[in-house]
Amino acid sequence: MRENLKDILSHLTTDIDQETLLLYLQDKLPEDKKHEVEKKLVDSEFAGDAMEGLQQFSDKHQLSYTVEMLNRDLKKKTEKKKQRRQKLVLKDQSWLYLAIFILLLLIVISYLIIHRMLQS
Amino acid sequence: MTTGKYDHITDQELLEKFYADRNNEWLGILLQRYTLLLLGVCMKYLKNEEEAKDGVQQVFLKAIQELQKYKVEYFKSWLYMVAKNHCLMKLRDKHGKIATELNNETIPAPEETDKKKLQQTDHTLDLMESSLQELNTEQQQCVTLFYLQKKSYSEISEATGFSMMQVKSYIQNGKRNLKILIEKKLKEEMNQ
Repeated sequence: MRENLKDILSHLTTDIDQETLLLYLQDKLPEDKKHEVEKKLVDSEFAGDAMEGLQQFSDKHQLSYTVEMLNRDLKKKTEKKKQRRQKLVLKDQSWLYLAIFILLLLIVISYLIIHRMLQS
Repeated sequence: MTTGKYDHITDQELLEKFYADRNNEWLGILLQRYTLLLLGVCMKYLKNEEEAKDGVQQVFLKAIQELQKYKVEYFKSWLYMVAKNHCLMKLRDKHGKIATELNNETIPAPEETDKKKLQQTDHTLDLMESSLQELNTEQQQCVTLFYLQKKSYSEISEATGFSMMQVKSYIQNGKRNLKILIEKKLKEEMNQ
């Protein structure tokens, strides 16, 4: 048991995954696992603060749904910019193709005009 | 809820990937890892479920904008600071209170296990045992039950009659006081 004293001095940097944290909040973890989570909470200010806040939610079972919704929204935000960027790239290319086509057309027309002028 | 195939990639690696190709999707994967924690932090300060959810979305936006501008070294600590600042600003707007904004310079590097201290195991453990006796009764009781007997908060709460919040506070303060006492004793030994 004396060896357990070392835990007081150690700083556990291992993160708690969100699933485990949710199970802890929903009181679905066995006592030994709960103790493990709590040991990490004591060591991490971020996780400790978060736990304090999460415990204030009226329905802990709704939390995973809320997180899912927030993640979905985040995904939309981060994907949108990429798509927009891709669209811009495509648009830019179409202008380029159009410009080349017009240029070639002008060259051909000019050639024909000059050719006819020389003939006459 | 997890991002599955990216679980093996560290936060730092995801950031590097983003800085390499500026694809916001990397940031999405990275930020998703902290959604629950951010929701908790926002709820702790804002005390309202809807405001907490909005808070998380705004923190996401802020993080995405800021990460485009500069490189971040300790992502987790930085994100925590962004979330705390956001909540403090919200509270200031709401209550007109003066909130102290944290800046980048105050971001602490993540603490690592103090190997040196642990290497001096036997002596440190002796010091710890004697220091434990110097804590007040409540802290001593909670620290012993938590660290030595590996009890959970709820078991300690049942055994002692303290509320869960009290248990948590006694453990946190007890741990901090123990560290201070040991450091003091080690310093005294060095001076002798």
